[in-house]
Amino acid sequence: MKLVIDGVSKQYAGKVWGLRDLRLELKPGVVGLLGPNGAGKSTLMRILATVTRASAGRVLWNDADIAQAPDTLRSVLGYLPQDFGVYPHLTALEFLEYMAAVKGLDAASARKRIDELLAVVNLAEARDRSLGGFSGGMKQRVGIAQALLNDPELLIVDEPTAGLDPEERARFRNLLSELSGERIVIFSTHIVSDIEAIATDIAILGGGWLLEHAAPEELLRAVEGKVWEWVIPSAEVPAAKQQFLISTSVRRTDGVHVRIVAVDRPGAGAVVASPTLEDAYLHCISSQRASVAA
Amino acid sequence: MVYHLARADFLERVRRYSFVFIMGISLYFGYAAATGQLVMRVNESRGDFNSAWIGGLMALVSTTFLTLAGFYVVKNTVERDRLTRVGEILASTPMSKTMYVMGKAISNFVVLTAMVAILPISGIIMQFWHGEDSHVELWKLWAPFLLIALPAMAVVAAIAVLFETIPWLRGGFGNVVYFFVWTTALTIPVVGAEKGGTQFFDWSGLSVIWSSLRAAAKGPAGHDGFSLSIESTSAVKAASTFRWDGVQWTSSLVFARLFWVAAAIAIALLAALLFDRFDPSKERWRGVAAPEAGNGLEGAAAPRMPTYVTHLTPLAARPVRFRFGAILIAELRLMLKGKKWWWYAVAAGLIVACAATPDASARGILLACAWLWPVLMWSSMGVREVRDQTSQLLFSAPHPIARQLPAVWLAGVVLALLTGSGFGSRVLLSGDWRGLLAWLIGALFIPTLALALGVWSGSSKLFEIVYTLLWYVGPMHATLQLDFMASAPGTAATRVPSFYFVVTVAIAAVAALGRKRQLQT
Repeated sequence: MKLVIDGVSKQYAGKVWGLRDLRLELKPGVVGLLGPNGAGKSTLMRILATVTRASAGRVLWNDADIAQAPDTLRSVLGYLPQDFGVYPHLTALEFLEYMAAVKGLDAASARKRIDELLAVVNLAEARDRSLGGFSGGMKQRVGIAQALLNDPELLIVDEPTAGLDPEERARFRNLLSELSGERIVIFSTHIVSDIEAIATDIAILGGGWLLEHAAPEELLRAVEGKVWEWVIPSAEVPAAKQQFLISTSVRRTDGVHVRIVAVDRPGAGAVVASPTLEDAYLHCISSQRASVAA
Repeated sequence: MVYHLARADFLERVRRYSFVFIMGISLYFGYAAATGQLVMRVNESRGDFNSAWIGGLMALVSTTFLTLAGFYVVKNTVERDRLTRVGEILASTPMSKTMYVMGKAISNFVVLTAMVAILPISGIIMQFWHGEDSHVELWKLWAPFLLIALPAMAVVAAIAVLFETIPWLRGGFGNVVYFFVWTTALTIPVVGAEKGGTQFFDWSGLSVIWSSLRAAAKGPAGHDGFSLSIESTSAVKAASTFRWDGVQWTSSLVFARLFWVAAAIAIALLAALLFDRFDPSKERWRGVAAPEAGNGLEGAAAPRMPTYVTHLTPLAARPVRFRFGAILIAELRLMLKGKKWWWYAVAAGLIVACAATPDASARGILLACAWLWPVLMWSSMGVREVRDQTSQLLFSAPHPIARQLPAVWLAGVVLALLTGSGFGSRVLLSGDWRGLLAWLIGALFIPTLALALGVWSGSSKLFEIVYTLLWYVGPMHATLQLDFMASAPGTAATRVPSFYFVVTVAIAAVAALGRKRQLQT
């Protein structure tokens, strides 16, 4: 099982580039796709889900070009888009039955699978309610369920935890983690904590470019010794924000505890801290912005 | 604030492709009129192409064709704010309902004025083109535009907003209702004027021009024929002529037209009263708030379901079987669900009435009614995926064109067969195989047209308008060439059904092409 993204670019009307010469090779596991808004994450997801075509380059699924034979991938694909709708007059059960038929599941398998999925996404009691009456979080869970209907080999989920409460987010992360062994999961988000628990690989996009592709440990090693914790008076915080990349700041009784990503010690009282994935991500993005500005 | 609201709305509208398309239609009418293809006749004669005649012609085009097309162009502005959730933001501002509605009505009016303004400009070109009277009298050329067309457009602008504030007129049903309002609004005042009725109740202003023209043409009694048609230039040149110096604008006539401007304002104020200010609790799906957990449990103390059930049984060998029947049933469910019981009662009543009526002509009218009733269901074909934002889910599934699209189409055909079954069964029992075939072709044509228009336009409105117009002119008025239902006795024996079969096949290919285009973009 292999997904190869070979020099994929996507240009929109008005000569706007959504993606530029992206190259990635993915094997079974969870790939976290991180990046700011407009980085190209959703564009990449739509290309991989065969919903849109690349302007250049190709995507190979088990060595088959998905642009030439999209149905080869579609039969083993589960896709949860960032923005999607549902049919308001159908119940959750009816909608999943419809999607199961569209994905080619036989009736018996579909029934069993739907029952399991509704339990997993905590919608078993709401199965016979019309989707039009569902809240945003409930619709999101229906979306997750439909993506898993055909037990996909390639699961693409774009901002799947949007609208979910913390408990549901934890449940979803556990589910993905359990599923990831024998399939490729591409999980796009800009919430770093969602990824850091389960991703085996991380790809960081920025401005349509692939900035980094590495295991989480490697990304953390790259910022080892570059993350500082510093306590400063609150009056100095605005100046510090102008000068340094601050990932978090917390007010305490002794001052504002700021976490700074910088090559050099920012101030006398700053101490080295263990980096987190969020620090690594911010470092990567700010480096990219600095090189673009230069 | 009203100015800014109207301006923002106007700019949003004129930057869309649909506006360019409608301006193109107006330009066509202007061109047809300027080159003499669009002709007004009275008693088989026409007036000299002077400023008065041309101005009158332009006003008539505005108040006939453009009061229909214009309504559908502008009737979506409030709905757009609702769908984009901009409305909720506006509702949280100090903006009053009256300000909002007046702003929208003004924007509608400006858009409609832009559409019709092409016509009086082309009128000047027209007068020189024909060369029958080169003396341009600006007042006679423009007065019908200012006093007939613009008040009519003001009413259309206000009615469009009113329809959008009334929930059951907001959608496709309102589109169909307006068609009948429009036909009534055009017919009744002219009949009233012929019988000496007041022109006061004439929204379109048609009777004002008609009365003046009739007096000038002075044809033989009982031959007061009037028509507005598109003809060849040679036919126009060959027609006999008479001189018409335009409407004599008395104070009572001007007041009658200004009355309609006041009526437009009153309609807009009524719309403001009915407007729900985007309150989501008044929308259909929010009658009862959904409990967030979706478990139907009440109260914070209620125990939650087990929260960490995450195990899924792997699917054995991932069985992939194409179940067309299941998809078809799901598409039928999508089409039929959400209708109230009375919808089914009326559909059943029409089936029974069709089957029970012995008179062929009456049965044909009933079939026409039976096949208008589901128009809003057919109009969602090919549109649902875009409207309900499920396209990414469906288009990433295997073989969307080969599997899902035929199921959508067949669901529409099944609906046509069911709703027209009263007529079909009667024809079958009578042994009229030709009639049965013609009826079947009608049952295929309608959903195919709906699917093609839906897939290409992405909106249910186009089919609702086109089909209602076709239905009205064709089966309802027994116009042979447009009787796609073969509802009139005798149609089945002609070549008309064969023609519609060929058209159906062509449109089906267009629909598939449209879906392929959607997949590729």
